[in-house]
Amino acid sequence: MTQESLLNVLELTVGAMLVYNFVLSRFLGICPFLGVSRRLDTALGMSAAVVFVMTISSAITATIYNLGLKKTFLINGTEVNLLFLKVLIFIAVIAALVQIVEVLLQKFSPPLYKALGIYLPLITTNCAVLGAAMLNSVNDRGIWESTVFSFFSALGFGLALVLFSSLRERLDLSAVPRPFQGMAIALITAGILAMAFVGFSGLC
Amino acid sequence: MTSTIILSVLALSILGIILGLAIGLISKLFGVATDPKVDLVLELLPGANCGGCGKAGCADFARALVSGEASPGQCPVSSQEVMAQIAQVLGMALEAPDKKIAVVLCGGDIQQTKVKTLYNGVNDCISAMLVAGGPKSCAYGCLGMASCARACPFNAIEIINGLAVVHNELCVGCGVCVKTCPRNLIKLVPAEAKVHIYCSSPEKAALKMKVCNVPCIACRKCVKSGEEGQFTINGFRVEVNYDNYPGEDIVSKAGCPKNCLLTAAQHLEIERNEEAGEVVA
Amino acid sequence: MNEQAINKDLKIVSFKGGVHPQKDGKILSKKASIQTAPLLERYQVIVSQNIGAPPKVVVSAGDEVKKGQLLAEAAGFVSVPLHSPTSGKVEGLVDIPGPMGVMTQAISILADGKDEWTELPASIDWRNSDADTLKKRIMECGIVGMGGAAFPSHVKLSPPPDKKVDYMIINGAECEPYLTADHRVMLEEPEKVLEGAAILGRAAGVKNVVVAVEINKVDAINAMMEKAAQFNVGIVGMKVQYPQGAEKQLIYAVTRRKVPTGALPADVGCIVQNAGTAAAVAEAVNAGIPLIERVTTITGEPVVNPGNWRLRLGTPISEALKLCGGVKCEPGKLILGGPMMGFAQRSTGVSVMKNTSGILLLDKSDVTQYESSPCIRCGRCLEACPMNLQPSALSQLAEAGQYENALKYNVMDCIECGACAFACPAHRPLVQHIRRLKAEIRNRTKKEIKK
Repeated sequence: MTQESLLNVLELTVGAMLVYNFVLSRFLGICPFLGVSRRLDTALGMSAAVVFVMTISSAITATIYNLGLKKTFLINGTEVNLLFLKVLIFIAVIAALVQIVEVLLQKFSPPLYKALGIYLPLITTNCAVLGAAMLNSVNDRGIWESTVFSFFSALGFGLALVLFSSLRERLDLSAVPRPFQGMAIALITAGILAMAFVGFSGLC
Repeated sequence: MTSTIILSVLALSILGIILGLAIGLISKLFGVATDPKVDLVLELLPGANCGGCGKAGCADFARALVSGEASPGQCPVSSQEVMAQIAQVLGMALEAPDKKIAVVLCGGDIQQTKVKTLYNGVNDCISAMLVAGGPKSCAYGCLGMASCARACPFNAIEIINGLAVVHNELCVGCGVCVKTCPRNLIKLVPAEAKVHIYCSSPEKAALKMKVCNVPCIACRKCVKSGEEGQFTINGFRVEVNYDNYPGEDIVSKAGCPKNCLLTAAQHLEIERNEEAGEVVA
Repeated sequence: MNEQAINKDLKIVSFKGGVHPQKDGKILSKKASIQTAPLLERYQVIVSQNIGAPPKVVVSAGDEVKKGQLLAEAAGFVSVPLHSPTSGKVEGLVDIPGPMGVMTQAISILADGKDEWTELPASIDWRNSDADTLKKRIMECGIVGMGGAAFPSHVKLSPPPDKKVDYMIINGAECEPYLTADHRVMLEEPEKVLEGAAILGRAAGVKNVVVAVEINKVDAINAMMEKAAQFNVGIVGMKVQYPQGAEKQLIYAVTRRKVPTGALPADVGCIVQNAGTAAAVAEAVNAGIPLIERVTTITGEPVVNPGNWRLRLGTPISEALKLCGGVKCEPGKLILGGPMMGFAQRSTGVSVMKNTSGILLLDKSDVTQYESSPCIRCGRCLEACPMNLQPSALSQLAEAGQYENALKYNVMDCIECGACAFACPAHRPLVQHIRRLKAEIRNRTKKEIKK
């Protein structure tokens, strides 16, 4: 493996997961991060759902981008390029996928479905999933690279979620002063966790 | 230009059809039929998740309501209109239950009772009971360490002078405090029953008076002043019969010598006005 | 400190965790030889002294009894009889303050001064006797665990037949600070302890009999090592650490076997008995003497003359303190047992029971009234816990009322030794929190079973 391709692989995997963590470095997907992270089991469920949706949606959107939106078609002599439809198409695909995940989850794991509740459709409008798809198209990555990048980004999202939910479970037991109880201490903790993740910068 | 429009419309339409088909297929194959009534009822319920209905939270109760296992009257927090709405959604007739509230049947605050030992431990009634039955001289009285107040989901219990007092306006009768009190002092009574005997000790009067200034000595003055069946005599104490309770005028009529027969309002008034003094040891 | 040197042949073992209270307190009484208390005017023998069913009283007011006569008979298998500490007249049943803070029933006996023995059962030649005879004698003499638990000894010696027992461990650790009763018994009556150990071994059908002693009792160890061979009993030394005397820690130190969660020592093939119990067993089998007195350490800085006294059952604590010359300053606490796991008393009207190993007065400066503060996550309690639990997490769960999570943290394994609370710099009442969790979980399990 050449040095350049090795760096590329590192950037797609370790970089996506740790160095440029979606939640803690790019600050995408804060809503489910703060909303579902009260307990470890819901956090794990949410992470699994996001990994699934992000990977598959990135695969599909990368395909559509590389094979359709990027190219210019010659129709009746004029050059037509549909790149402006990027956001619309990406959102449509993501929304459909989340619907499918919801149906499957309700069938195969009703308690998790109940626990995630409102946060499942929130993955649709979640900037994290759309962000992954957009980042792939902006950086002009191929289909395979896009999928790998999104998979590891989702893993990073899951990692941050699991870490944070464990912290919050412990915070719930501690004697937090009145002004800081609830969301306040959660945000402060999230900030400190983000600072910790800065330690990964320069890794690749 | 037109070719762009045509192509984009075509592209989006095809995408829409494919996605729609995919969703439809999956829903057909894996869909789970949910009763929309459950969601409707869940929206109407207060959402406090207090467990007063006996179910594990409002979602569980909604499901039980729709399947017919529970009745709307079981929810102590819902108002009458909410219950009527729920009954309408479910298409059932509504029985009107009596609203119940909680009362702590003890008048032994730190002014009126003695403390037998210095308790140096966790400030919680249940924990204190594990240490030689608690620091109070009366083995049946309120410990005043706020286990009930902390357990109340509606903050209806206040500890005044080391005695737990329920605020009637705030109490909804969910019953969590009844289960929490380690000395079983709290009872759920009809909301309209305003008169109570604030003593739960079954000891003899002479022993009671050694440890408390306001015990029920079973002198029967209230029984004689009231009508037949309004009070029950239970060993060495008298209790109000909550199926046939007396009115507020019984307090002045009976003239309880120990100031133990009181209305809830009088009890609260007394506790508020007592000067916080030294502990009688 | 130790004038004698530790015998080179002595094997020294230990367990993981625990604490070492710097202020041992044992110096106050470890040199005091056992003195026998004079006869008192009145004895108030508490009826319910053992784990299991309390015995059924068989005497009534006005009855004349002799020393050692049956006062209450065993009520069921897990129960032992109660015997009179002296001769005299039964005044009747009275309510006196009990060791747990609630009033308890006691038989009041007015001594007639003659102190005459009743007819005692014959001596048993234990070397040629079968196990059942020995166990029957142990039961009839009312022997219970004298280290503090008061569990009927004959029940401990009868594990279910599917559990093979191969170790009899005599607990001579006495790891609690201030207490020296077992130390003096082992030092002054080593043959009794060793013989009792051999008898217990025979009664349980066990080959390996070992007396385990902490190495701060060198004189006792040496005294026993001289005589151990004739009874075929081994001696093992143990590092000084609290709670070395706790069953599970003792078994691990001596045999390196771990007792699993919720299991008993018999499940790993061990039976543990206290050294004082062994001495009582020797007396019971050899001379038919029932358990009516025991050696108790009366000690503490406020006590004028701390010492080890042979007290009869039913001796009021107030009388016991008089034997030591009373108190020289107002004490902070009166504790029955040791300072780590003993029970604080609110009255000196309590009387001595079969498991009263110590009467301890703590000075006011040693008894702090403190406000507990939040957990500072220092981890000292984790290092201290001999059962590998997380007392800091458990106490936080108790404060939050999360009982299911507490079960996941193995709260029921806690032996309530108090090492964590001793180590906590934030003065958190950890053991009380854990006790509350355990009580609530037991209540819920009971309610579940009822359903």
